Amino acid sequence: MRSLLAIAANTLRHAVRDRVLYSILFFAAGVILLSLALKDVTIGDQDKVVRSIGQSAIAGFGSIIAMFLGVSLVWTELEKRTVYTVLSRPLARRTFLLGKYLGLVATLALQIGIMLTVYAALMTVQQQPPPAIVYVSNGLLLVELMLLTAFATLFSTYSAPTTASAFTLSVFVIGHLADDIWLYGSRAESPAVQEMARALYWVLPNFEILNLRDLAIHEKPIPWDRVLTALTYGLSYTAVVLGAAVAVFERRDLK
Amino acid sequence: MPTSSTRQDSAIWTESLTKIYRSGFWMRPHVGLSELTLAVQPGEVFGFVGPNGAGKTTTIKILMGLHRATSGAAYLFGQPLSDPRSRARVGFLPERPYFYEHLTARELLRFFAQLHDIPRPDADRRIGALLERVELGRFADVQLRSYSKGMLQRAGLCQALLHDPDLLILDEPMSGLDPLGRALVRDIIVEEARRGRTVFFSSHILHDIETLSDRVAIIVTGKLRGTGTVRELIGDRIRHVDCTLQGAGSLPGQLVREDGALQVRRVAPEAVDALLDQARAQGGRVLEVVPIRETLEDVLLDEVERARPARRDALEVLA
Repeated sequence: MRSLLAIAANTLRHAVRDRVLYSILFFAAGVILLSLALKDVTIGDQDKVVRSIGQSAIAGFGSIIAMFLGVSLVWTELEKRTVYTVLSRPLARRTFLLGKYLGLVATLALQIGIMLTVYAALMTVQQQPPPAIVYVSNGLLLVELMLLTAFATLFSTYSAPTTASAFTLSVFVIGHLADDIWLYGSRAESPAVQEMARALYWVLPNFEILNLRDLAIHEKPIPWDRVLTALTYGLSYTAVVLGAAVAVFERRDLK
Repeated sequence: MPTSSTRQDSAIWTESLTKIYRSGFWMRPHVGLSELTLAVQPGEVFGFVGPNGAGKTTTIKILMGLHRATSGAAYLFGQPLSDPRSRARVGFLPERPYFYEHLTARELLRFFAQLHDIPRPDADRRIGALLERVELGRFADVQLRSYSKGMLQRAGLCQALLHDPDLLILDEPMSGLDPLGRALVRDIIVEEARRGRTVFFSSHILHDIETLSDRVAIIVTGKLRGTGTVRELIGDRIRHVDCTLQGAGSLPGQLVREDGALQVRRVAPEAVDALLDQARAQGGRVLEVVPIRETLEDVLLDEVERARPARRDALEVLA
């Protein structure tokens, strides 16, 4: 357990000392603040524009950071051969991989926390402190990014960052279109297509289950049963993908 | 199978260890290591010699759990490599070590100490002493991205020694070091051996292998070609003889004239008597006859030469 935490802490420290992440964070904060300017040129619900842009910025930049860090998580260690002096110790490969993943999740939580703090401060200054659903929605965003980075970690165990990025981006896009696959499948005339669409729907990740941003933007009450389902779904799926990543990493030769 | 020891009492024990790599679109096989059977005893300094691509680093990577053997088995202090705990008593220095550049040497060593479950006060004490020992004390809190190659190698030695291991596995530890760095590595190997630790190291610098090793293994094209003390491997064979004569006329061979003396170099041992008889018949006087014994380098080159047809055969079989 101590090894797992040590690797996680080292991964977090690496991210904290990475200037690229600060640039992304700085840019995200800029976009959140920029929403104020757009408020004045909006007709209708002006506050909703600020909420919408602010929360979309957190999700968007969070996803960018997750993919940016996730696809190079293992590859960089292999490419720079830093893994040699770590895995030559009394340490199981799964401990190393899960420690790296845990550090990445801690980094994402930190990044989301910082962006959310900027957003909450902005809204509080505007006399509209965010309701609890905003925090719950961002909690589920973290679960969504945990699932996304689990895929990125899986791809990172056997392919270069460019290939892993393409795969992860595909998963990200497909994961947000899962409901559409179900919809188009159910409207198809061919039973075979319907079956295929259903199979794809159940096998592919569905990130929309974890998406409460619409409710948060409209400041609706928290649907706890949906939150519980989403949590169970997201964490279970993440565990399965991480299990696959461990299985691949356990077997491969480290170049 | 090694016969002079048992798996349980050996620091390193391998049985028919084989690694076949597959590469390219057609996944063509390439033998990295073939049926390596080896036993390294606790407390000995064991040199691992071979040309580039012979299988030295492959062997070390398998021992350290970085590569999986295709077949065969290996044990560290009687524990199978599949158990990560087998590496608890091992300190490893890879060839050209790379570390997390965002960390300082002290932070890096603290991180590794955590992986060995060494309590923080003990770790800090040991880290301070080790950094002083390799003369990195002044740079302990400088990020590793600013370190030179030699400094990284010294930091690498620190991380290998951090947990006071019973077995040190060093892959080309002198590679790319200046004379001072090489002397430091030699001192550490000698000191660790004096403390009863086992040292297994590969090197291209055969002089280091000859002077430091209790026993040596020669590996060529993935196959073990010989194991033993340097004396056992070299034997008492005389490679050639250099003869220095005075007053002799014309003689066959490589001649060097110096201060009125004539030196005949690289005379085959069986031709010495005839040469000296011929010199005496010409009224010459024998000043010196120096037998030049074989070196480890000669043995290695002979083994490489001997392995050439075998390598062709192996490639044909695989094809």
